Amino acid sequence: MKIGIMSFAHHHAEAYIDNVRNVPGVELLGLADEDAARGQHFAQTFHTPYFDSYEALLNARPDAMLVCSENSKHRPLVEMAAAAKVHVLCEKPLATSPADAQAMVEACRQAGVKLMTAFPMRFSTPLLEVKARLDAGDLGQVYCFNATNQGEAPLHLRPWFVDKELAGGGALTDHIVHLADVMRWYLGSEVTDVYAQSNRILYANEIADERVETGGLVMLTFANGVFASIDCSWNKPNYYPTWGGLTFELVTERGAVLVDGFKQNLTVYSHDVRRPLWAYWGSNINQAMIDDFVAAIREERAPRVTGEDGLRAVEIVAAAYESTRTGQPVRVART
Amino acid sequence: MKVGIAGVGFMGTTHAAGWAATGADLVGLCAETTDEAAGMAQTYRTQVYADYAALLDDVDVIDICTPTHLHYEMVLQAAAAGKHIICEKPLARTVAQAQEMIRACRTAGVKLFVAHVVRFFPEYALAKAQIDQGKIGKPGVVRLTRASYRPKKPSGNWFLDFEKSGGMMLDLMIHDFDYARWISGEVESVFAKNVTSAQPEAVTEYGIAILNHTSGALSHVVGGWAYPPPTFRTAFEIAGDRGLIEWSSDSTAPINLLLRKDSADAPDVGLPGSPVAESPYTMQIKEFYEALINDRTARVSATDGLASVQIALAAIESAQTGKPIALTPLAEVIQ
Repeated sequence: MKIGIMSFAHHHAEAYIDNVRNVPGVELLGLADEDAARGQHFAQTFHTPYFDSYEALLNARPDAMLVCSENSKHRPLVEMAAAAKVHVLCEKPLATSPADAQAMVEACRQAGVKLMTAFPMRFSTPLLEVKARLDAGDLGQVYCFNATNQGEAPLHLRPWFVDKELAGGGALTDHIVHLADVMRWYLGSEVTDVYAQSNRILYANEIADERVETGGLVMLTFANGVFASIDCSWNKPNYYPTWGGLTFELVTERGAVLVDGFKQNLTVYSHDVRRPLWAYWGSNINQAMIDDFVAAIREERAPRVTGEDGLRAVEIVAAAYESTRTGQPVRVART
Repeated sequence: MKVGIAGVGFMGTTHAAGWAATGADLVGLCAETTDEAAGMAQTYRTQVYADYAALLDDVDVIDICTPTHLHYEMVLQAAAAGKHIICEKPLARTVAQAQEMIRACRTAGVKLFVAHVVRFFPEYALAKAQIDQGKIGKPGVVRLTRASYRPKKPSGNWFLDFEKSGGMMLDLMIHDFDYARWISGEVESVFAKNVTSAQPEAVTEYGIAILNHTSGALSHVVGGWAYPPPTFRTAFEIAGDRGLIEWSSDSTAPINLLLRKDSADAPDVGLPGSPVAESPYTMQIKEFYEALINDRTARVSATDGLASVQIALAAIESAQTGKPIALTPLAEVIQ
């Protein structure tokens, strides 16, 4: 199986390229990027062919593509891949509007290709362990979640993350979708209502685009009565011991379960950096996700997280933005 | 200075220990039944009064440590008798009661202090001082968490009687509503959810509130009567535009007892606390005592007590109605 990468705008591509190479029987075809300097740089760094255009990469007949462009450019690239009958794993958030996400899902459905959304938390071993206990009935009835997906503002990683046109927004766009997806997966229930508040106090002096929010608190209500808060703030300074994290407290009739998706760390103090850093030793969630993408293609089954899952998360983000405008809870519109 | 304590439950006992560390003379106690007060009277070598009015006659200061619904009548009676007052939190069961209590004390020329003890806990006081020193810049997103188990008083469990206590959101979350205001200033609107509104048959309680401050800051406040006894977890995370403060009782516990127990007994009501040289409850009583003898203010005022009741009741209303609740500006409320 041959896999190509469309765009290195998202830094996750730097991890995925190794993940792809680690799957037995998979060949990394190369990468294309509309930013030629960026594409050539990463092609050189990772010793893989650089293609001058996305068309040229598609003409090399890949079986599948990873789309790692800026959020707002996911749609044209996914549609291009689908038109070429190529399976797609698209970085999250799937799109910057429900209409775009819906069009991508539809394009892949009509082309008969798989569309997977890059929600690697579905492959987190601590989260899978809790999901198994939940399904076995060990935890009793779920009442609510108190969840955080916080991090440093990713402006130093890639400046486009804090550009409204390219990213679609700030902290709400970046950090609602993972937890919204985990909760939908855990509960098997859809979000009906969203309340959200946002502000831009954190990193205000470092982020020029005033339309980009850096702090956000969100409350979701599910069809089954469960409620959940998500703190999606970019609240960690860029000298924090790690990039950020994802945690949730799952409150049930039997008590509570505290889950930290990135707790499996060493604390390392090195003369080289002179501040504590957390070195992660937990299982590689990106590798497990890429493995499932390849397996889904080979086994002709749906990936464990789909384009529809990505679309549902985008609908929740859209409702959150509408709530920040109206100040009221917003009913999630299903596209 | 002669002091009397009304109520000999957890708080009455704790306050008595505080008064013992001051120059005040604890002249008497009263409780629902004189039997209840006998043990404490012996410990502090003081009198048991059968009647609240009789106790008031003999004191300069009354310390009201009774259930929430009794605060209103008892404060009015003390003010009418011209006595200074220390009142346990929450100041009152309703905003209107709190307004009337403050007015009555002002008219009578007596001082009214509200025992929001969290402001005296060293970790909370230090975080406030660090913020005031500009260590983390302007607070942007604040997370405050306080969760324990359901109060299990053997008889007359007023905590579980919503009419008397206002439930967990008024009794427990009020601590952090007060602290949120101390850190980030006045609150404009509140949106909240709780388990007992979503699942009326639930025996545990857990609530999440999102506060929108006039300063632009957001607060995420969590309270719970949800864990198995004797768990009591408290935590805060305060993100500013120039830094971050993190603290949790879990990660800073200086002692972890790994001892076999003969019984899994826990106090009727969970109390937080790390071993420190002076109990925050004693520090609080001392500050009120100093304020009284020197005619000064304390770090928490009766107005603060009213404001936190207003926020808590708005949170309850929001949880019950599903709507965000806009708060009447405090300046208008206290007119």
